[in-house]
Parts: sequence; structure tokens; C-alpha cells
Amino acid sequence: MSSKSSSTTTMITTYSPSPTVKNRQPIIKDVDWARPDKRGFHQCRPAYLNTGTVNAASGSAYVEFGSTKVIVSVFGPRESKKASMYSDIGRLNCNVSYTTFATNFRGQGTENKEISSMLHKALEGAIILESFPKTTVDVLLWCWNPVAVSFLLCDLPVVISCASLALADAGIMMYDLVTSVSVSCLGSNLIIDPITEEETYQDGSLMITFMPSRHEVTQLTLTGEWSTPRIHEAMQLCMDACCKLGEIMRSCLKDAAASSES
Amino acid sequence: MGSTDGIQADIASEIEVDAFRRLFPLRFYERHLSESVRPDARPLNKARDTSVALGAISSADGSALVKIGHTTMLAAIKVEVMTPSLDSPDEGCIVGFDVFSSGMINLKELSLISGKAAWMLYLDVYCLDADGALFDAALLAAVAALSHLRIPVVSVNDDGRVVAMSGEHVEGKSVREPINREKRKLTFSCIPFSLTCILHQKYILADPTAEEELIMETLVTVVLDLSGRLVSLYKLGGNLAYNSTVQDCVALTRRRVKELHQILNEAVSDMEVD
Amino acid sequence: MNLTMAADFALSMGLMEIDRADGRKPNQLRPLSCSHNFLNRAHGSARWSHGDTTVIAAVYGPKSGKKTNENPKKASVEVVWKPNTGHIGRDEKEYEIVVKRTLESICLLTVNPSTTISVILQVVDDDGGLLPCAINAACAALVDAGIPLKHLAVSICCGLTESGFVVLDPTKSEEQSLQAFTYLVFPNSFRSVLPGSPLSVEIGPFENGIITSTTHGVMSVENYLFCIERGRSASAALSEFLRKSLTKRNESNS
Repeated sequence: MSSKSSSTTTMITTYSPSPTVKNRQPIIKDVDWARPDKRGFHQCRPAYLNTGTVNAASGSAYVEFGSTKVIVSVFGPRESKKASMYSDIGRLNCNVSYTTFATNFRGQGTENKEISSMLHKALEGAIILESFPKTTVDVLLWCWNPVAVSFLLCDLPVVISCASLALADAGIMMYDLVTSVSVSCLGSNLIIDPITEEETYQDGSLMITFMPSRHEVTQLTLTGEWSTPRIHEAMQLCMDACCKLGEIMRSCLKDAAASSES
Repeated sequence: MGSTDGIQADIASEIEVDAFRRLFPLRFYERHLSESVRPDARPLNKARDTSVALGAISSADGSALVKIGHTTMLAAIKVEVMTPSLDSPDEGCIVGFDVFSSGMINLKELSLISGKAAWMLYLDVYCLDADGALFDAALLAAVAALSHLRIPVVSVNDDGRVVAMSGEHVEGKSVREPINREKRKLTFSCIPFSLTCILHQKYILADPTAEEELIMETLVTVVLDLSGRLVSLYKLGGNLAYNSTVQDCVALTRRRVKELHQILNEAVSDMEVD
Repeated sequence: MNLTMAADFALSMGLMEIDRADGRKPNQLRPLSCSHNFLNRAHGSARWSHGDTTVIAAVYGPKSGKKTNENPKKASVEVVWKPNTGHIGRDEKEYEIVVKRTLESICLLTVNPSTTISVILQVVDDDGGLLPCAINAACAALVDAGIPLKHLAVSICCGLTESGFVVLDPTKSEEQSLQAFTYLVFPNSFRSVLPGSPLSVEIGPFENGIITSTTHGVMSVENYLFCIERGRSASAALSEFLRKSLTKRNESNS
């Protein structure tokens, strides 16, 4: 029901009014330092998980980790688009989008392409692609509310865990649930599940995606400078958190199944 | 035609309801309609349960999450400062939803400094779950987000740019004066609400689900404002609509407008209590 | 009797006149013209003008369907809108959908299942009432291409002036000063080859229905219904014109 074209207005340059003085938070090396959201160093954000939120999809999940909110819809397995080549195994198609209000600056960045491909790599190993030959499973993901500046990688673990929850809800065959947790290294401290603010000050980060029951890692991302014992320590921390997250996801799926039966 | 109908009726008596629904969706619906009820137990003219939650998104300046049945829409507004065009130096503008060009908002309210700066509202509506009557949900979400909108307090800095007033400035340390202390909420001259109806034979089905929209193709969307004026009547192809049908749809919409206005008012007053 | 009807009554009695820039009466349409089959490669084509607004329509098909997800029991209609200048924008996208849905409802889609009918609309000149002109052109081109149709359709723009008058077929400059306007599509009146009374449905005569309606601007419901009334009476003249031009084409072909 459009009336007048708005093409003229889009030419106008705009900017968001932001405070001129930015009060920079000092980088703290002190052990007494409290995290901005008052968590302990080894304490994850409170999580809320729910499945079957999108009626139109074959499987869906909605999760909240702190202020990060992610909604995933899984469609398929359905006919592969275009005249794609015959393949014995199924295809997985991942698409991550950020709402325009997710960032401080309006408009989509280019990070979503990168995050989509990382999500694809993390999930690919866990899905039994042989179970749906010639067809495609589409994973569509909306992410909103990360109060971030530009680089939104800190939400990747949330994105991956939520996507695997939705895949399970859709009944796609998987070897195991995929859970993901990241750790930031700030000075001498390791902090788990960092928020954007902390990520800006980090010296290094480590993210693993992990299949808890099989005790297998599907993806590992490491940035910054790490010593071998630190990596070991961080890995242990992540895997432990992943196992616990796996339990929560499992019970969430069981609850959903139980309530749909009754 | 008659013989196939007969065969279908024979099969119908034998197969299960769910299979019948998939195989002969139209006949399945027509049987319901002749009993004046819909498969989800609604009467023909009743809309689904509707809820409005304001302020779902903390990073936006105004936001709303609307559910009509399963249909879920999320609307969010971000405001930015722009230089108004030369022909309308006192006006801001809204990007995103064209129904609002019908004068719902006085664009002069968005002006900050005549000819220099004005607000530009970016309105984005996301569909999280599609189950019919998408336009109705989108319009309601947009209207709700606009009524939730709080424009940030701003002042002009030494370079002549408009900047936001952060917390400590408001407490009085600032030498600069805010230029929009009063105008933080928008006032609406008229609020539009809409209802989509399906026309099928002599029946009118209000607020269709996705399944209903797929099976019965003639849709009419009526948009009325609170004073009952017609903002839009939108019908694309399909079966013919006659004057009496159009009037019936308008009457249904009138009733729905009252309902929606009440739901929105409740959401707004709930928010103000918090 | 509301204000508009009173005003209209006064107009019809010759008591009042409203000035239109081109000296037309409120109910008067701009001169119509229509030519057929002037494109060689297309299966059917038509050029339709309302005054200075001109649209060329070309129809290709039915050709084998190419899109997936289409209904295997029905043909699909594809509409491509080509503006005279610039790129296709949001408004043009919407025009495409409006034309597509309108044509789908007049075509007999079940005759050639799983085929595609392509309609290309090239805007030559825009002087108001562009969408109705395009729909009329598309309809004439469909006939020219021999696509099986249920009936013809004619489209018209009705405007409501600030003072509450209804004017038909406004030009672009008139459109901008109007309080509101609506694009309406009506079915063409039937001339059945079968003997007996003309077709009529439960609620009223067939040609009283509306196929498509889009509106711009705010008006009262009474005024909208009044616009429909006036559009409907003018649609008879349009139908007559379309029918005549189609007969002429057939005669010249044979």
C-alpha cells in the first residue's frame, strides 16, 4: 500500500547522535575486578531456551543469553533449489541475519556472511547428511539485541547452540547436540562467556563447539596470544561448560516432547 | 462435477478427518463454513487472540512485539538526525511504512532546528512467524512501536552537531541546554488499524490463518482510523466484491479497530506503570 | 444525503462547475486510444493511452513453466514492469503484484496447467492513472495473444478533491492536489452467446463487483463507495471502447 516514493529521502545523510565524551573503561588486571554484569569469572550468562516458537517452520528455537536474543527456524529437508548437482548426501544451508537495530549503526554489516559460514562449519560435522540425500535443510537465524559496536563474534556460541537446538526440534538426524562456549583472556584472568564490552578489551579468545555425549570438538577458534598450558586450561573450562549447556538443552527438548505428547 | 463430488463424499465418510483436510482442503473448509464455524473453533467474524508487548528491544528507541494468533511481528524504530530538505525545512521523515504518509504523524514534530536538523525515524518490521494476516500484524506492530517511541534528549555542541545528552549531563553539569526537552513523545492525529478478511462465496472470514489464505484466495484488507475514516481498502484480484460485502468488511473492521485500540491502550498504560 | 452526493446532484443539474485544468467535466475521461499487435516477436501486444499516459503491454506464452514451487494444476502469470526512466523501485514492485493478481483472476488458468504467461509492461509516458492504464493495456494484450479469459476487465482511477467532488481519470497534476484517490478494476459486462437473461450472481448483476481496489489517502467510507459508483458507471464506456477496438482488430485480421 505504498503511495509516494521514498527514494528521495534515502539520499539524505543521517547520523545517530552519540555522546561526544566516551568514558573509557580502564583495562583492569586486578583480580578483584567485577564483571560489568556482576558475574563471576567462571559463571555463564543466564540462559533461557525454548523450542517450537515458529509455527511455520519444521523446527525452531528461541534462546536468550543475557541480552542476546536469537531466533532460529529450520526448514526442510526440502527440494534443493535451482538445478544444483545431484548429491548423495544432503545439503545444509545457513543464513544468519542481524536486525538493523542490533547494532548502534543502522544497517547490515558484512559480518553476517562470516558468521553464517562459521555456523555452517560448526554444524556440518554433527549432522548425518546421508539421511536426507538430494535435499536441503535451511537454517535461518535472526539475531537481535547484542548491544555491540561493530564486531559481533561474541554471539557466535549462542548462535551455534541455538541452531543445533532448532535442528533437533525439526527432527534432523544428528550424531549429537552441538554446544558452544567461548572464553576470553583478560590479563591473567580467564573469563567465560564474555559480553561485547569485555571482548573489546580481551587479549585473546578461544571458542569451541563441542558434542558433549561423544566428547568431540567440531570447531575450534583461537585468536590472540596463548601459552600452551593456558589453552589447556581454557579448553577444560569450555568443555565443562559445554557439557552443562548440553544437559540444559537436552532437558529443554525432553520437556517440549513431553508437553506435546500429553 | 456432480459425480466427482459424490465420489469425494463417499471417500470422506471413510477417511480420517486429518487426511480429509489434506486431500480436499476446500471441501473441508466449506463443510465448516456451512456450520458457521472454523476449524480452530472460531466463529467466522472473530479475530484471533492478539497481544502487544512494548519495549522488547533495548537497543532501539521504540519497539513492539505483536502476536495475532501465531503470527508474530517485531517492529523497532531507530532515530537519527538528518538535514531536512529545502522544500520542507520544518519536517522530519519516516522511512519504512508508507501508510504513515497519510498524515498520521505531523512531520513538523520531528523538527529540531528549522532547516538545520530534524529526526529521521527508521522503522523496521520483522516477521518472526507467518500465520496469516501479516499486514494487520505489521501495521499494529508499527503503530505500537511508534507509541512506545521515546526520542532521546539532545543538545547542540560547539561544532554545531546534534549530540545526545548522556546521564551526567542531564544532572546539571552541562553548560549546554537540551533543545527538545518537551518533545519526547509523538502525538498522533489519527491511528490506523486494519483487518484482513477472506471472501469465499457468501461467507466473510475475519483474520485468516495461513492455511485459510492458501485455500481461499480472495483477500480484502480494510484500514480505518479511529474516527472511522477509510485509510485504505486493498483488494487484489480474486472473486468479485460487491458493495454489500465491502460494507460488511468495513463494519467488521470498525469493531476490530475498537478492540485493537483497547489492546494498545492497555499495553501503553502497563508500560507507564512500570 | 451527504455532502458529496449533494454536490454531485448540484453538478448534474448544471448548477455548479468545477474547473479541471484541461477543461474536462468531472465525469469525463481523457481521450482513449488502443492499438493491437504491433510487436512482431511477442505473442500478443497492445498499446493503450489515457490522454498522455501511455503503456505498451507485450504477452508471451503460455510457455513451459520455469519456476519451481508453482501450482501443477494451474498456469502462472508473471508480470514485469519497465519504468520509462530509472530503475524499478518499491512502487513498481507493488504495481507488478497488483497487475499479476488482477490478471490471475481474469485468466482461465486451469486450461494450460504448469505453464507461464509473461506480461511485460513498458511505461511510455506517465501523466497520472498509470496503473489503470497498464491493467487495460495488459488485458487487451492478453486478448491479442489469445489467452483464454473468463471475462475482460477495465480499470479506472477515481479521485476525491479537497472540496469533496469525485473526478474521474485525473492527470498527474490533478492527482497531486487530490485528497484521496482509488484505482479500481471492474469486470466487463457479459454478452453471453447463450439465449436468456444475462448472468447474475446472488448479490447483484455480475458487472457490479470489484476485482481490485487500492487506495491512497484518507477519505470517508461513504465517499469511497461513491467513488465506486462513479467508477462503475464510467467503466461501461471503457468496456464499450475495449470491445469495439477488439472487434476492429478481428475484422482487420480476417
